[in-house]
Amino acid sequence: MQVKSHKKLKKFTLYLIISIYLVFVLFPLLWLIQSSFKSMYQALKIPPDFIWTPTFEAYKKALGGGMLRAFLNSAVVSLSNVFLVLLLGITAGYALANLKTRASQNIGFWILSVRMAPAFGIIVPLYIILRSFRLVDTILAVMVAHLTINLPLAIWLLKGYFEEIPSELAEAAVVDGATRGQILLYILIPVALPMIVAVAALVFLLSWNEFLFAFILTSEQARTVPVLVASLAGTMRFDWPLMCALSTLALIPAFVLVVYLQRYIVRGLTFGAVK
Amino acid sequence: MRWQYKFLIPSLVILLSIVAFPTFFLFYISLHQWVLFKRGMPFTGIENFYLILTSSDFLQSLKVSLIYTLSSTVLTFVLGLGLALILNEELKGRNVIRTIIALPLVIPPVVAGFAWKFVLNREVGIIGAYLLPKIGFMKSLLADPSLALGSVIVADIWSKTSLMFLILLAGLQAVSPDLYEAARIDGASSPQIFSYITLPLIKPAIIIALIIRFIDAFNVFDTIFVMTSGGPGTATQTFPLLGWKIGFLYFNLGQAAALAIVMLFMTIGVSILLIRRIM
Repeated sequence: MQVKSHKKLKKFTLYLIISIYLVFVLFPLLWLIQSSFKSMYQALKIPPDFIWTPTFEAYKKALGGGMLRAFLNSAVVSLSNVFLVLLLGITAGYALANLKTRASQNIGFWILSVRMAPAFGIIVPLYIILRSFRLVDTILAVMVAHLTINLPLAIWLLKGYFEEIPSELAEAAVVDGATRGQILLYILIPVALPMIVAVAALVFLLSWNEFLFAFILTSEQARTVPVLVASLAGTMRFDWPLMCALSTLALIPAFVLVVYLQRYIVRGLTFGAVK
Repeated sequence: MRWQYKFLIPSLVILLSIVAFPTFFLFYISLHQWVLFKRGMPFTGIENFYLILTSSDFLQSLKVSLIYTLSSTVLTFVLGLGLALILNEELKGRNVIRTIIALPLVIPPVVAGFAWKFVLNREVGIIGAYLLPKIGFMKSLLADPSLALGSVIVADIWSKTSLMFLILLAGLQAVSPDLYEAARIDGASSPQIFSYITLPLIKPAIIIALIIRFIDAFNVFDTIFVMTSGGPGTATQTFPLLGWKIGFLYFNLGQAAALAIVMLFMTIGVSILLIRRIM
């Protein structure tokens, strides 16, 4: 009897700790989301109303006017990064997985070391280079900058995954006279599809969420959603519901992808060090 | 030519031009007086390094970065390990709970920073303007120099505990349950199992988690920028914010490059130290 009640007490304590932590995690987000459905007056009201008629004014403002452009920019940058990174990452990852030379090991290490470098060290020279090409405040500049983060990550992850696929699979096809391109396209890509989709989702999210590079490389025309949110949050005239609505919209990809990504995100964000 | 190289060349060319070349260029910039909108970039040797390392801003940022990085790494580690240990047990609703704990990691850091800025705000925030005054706390969390750093650390803990949690949980799940059972049969207590079986076995995961978290915390820009922009004064001005100020507010790219290189060496130094110490 005593053992049983001891166990129950332990379970209760664990649930209590978890509940407190979940409140900590969810509270700011839920508050942000609910404030986006308030009018300016309601959002400023202290003590706050917990029951009110929701209004979509903030969303109308967020999606009308010049702000929609930021969402389009973010979408173009993220999707083109996914496309380029997959195209380049799959071929390079496959090649590296099949290169057992000293040089390829070094390339691997070199790719990995990008993760160690402060982002700041990349953006200073990149800014000067892109500026000399008159590319500052263009979507292309942000795309290139995001490629510096995403491409090494994708190559590394896909290389690791291709190495795990038994080589008999490809060897049989070589005997049958298939080219390397055919093997990759018809045999290995279908097998590696879960990882490829995960890399695509991760790249999309990293690109969608990225702030520093986009902030330094854009001003008005090419600014992405995080840059827009930050610039509004920095002004003195606060339109809280509008900012909450923009933030809520910026959260959508995260909410959609978190469930799927959970299995792979550790691998992705630790550069494959943890599987 | 072997087929491998044909497949590799496009990526290699791109990486050489957008990563490798800028890295060398960074060192080149750091050795010149490189100020935007100013003609001429004379070679100045290590002057940029000298100026940056002896400035009072550098010392202040060193202090802030040290407090920020250290407390955030330690606190996210403790929290992440605790949560991972709990969720490694058989609990109802485990998957849903795990997903919620993982959520902050995928949220745009700018949004995370804004959400905290909003709830902590002294005029309109639910915590800063309603809950805290109710218990008699009247100060403004983000405008008070002594409280602002703590506030941005809380926001960092909020967004980055997820990563610690996920890495350590992956480490815990790799430990075979047979080991625990065998130890229990031999009469080991729970604390003994933790320190003699769990801890040694998840050590590699712990090292990776600490290194990645340290590098990450050392380089945080977005959440701090949105919440305080490094202020009030220089109370939350970590190295990346100082670098941004020097490079893109004062347009002194040479000095910003020098600071980036100093940061790079600090990162490498601490990482090597962590690997050696813990292994």
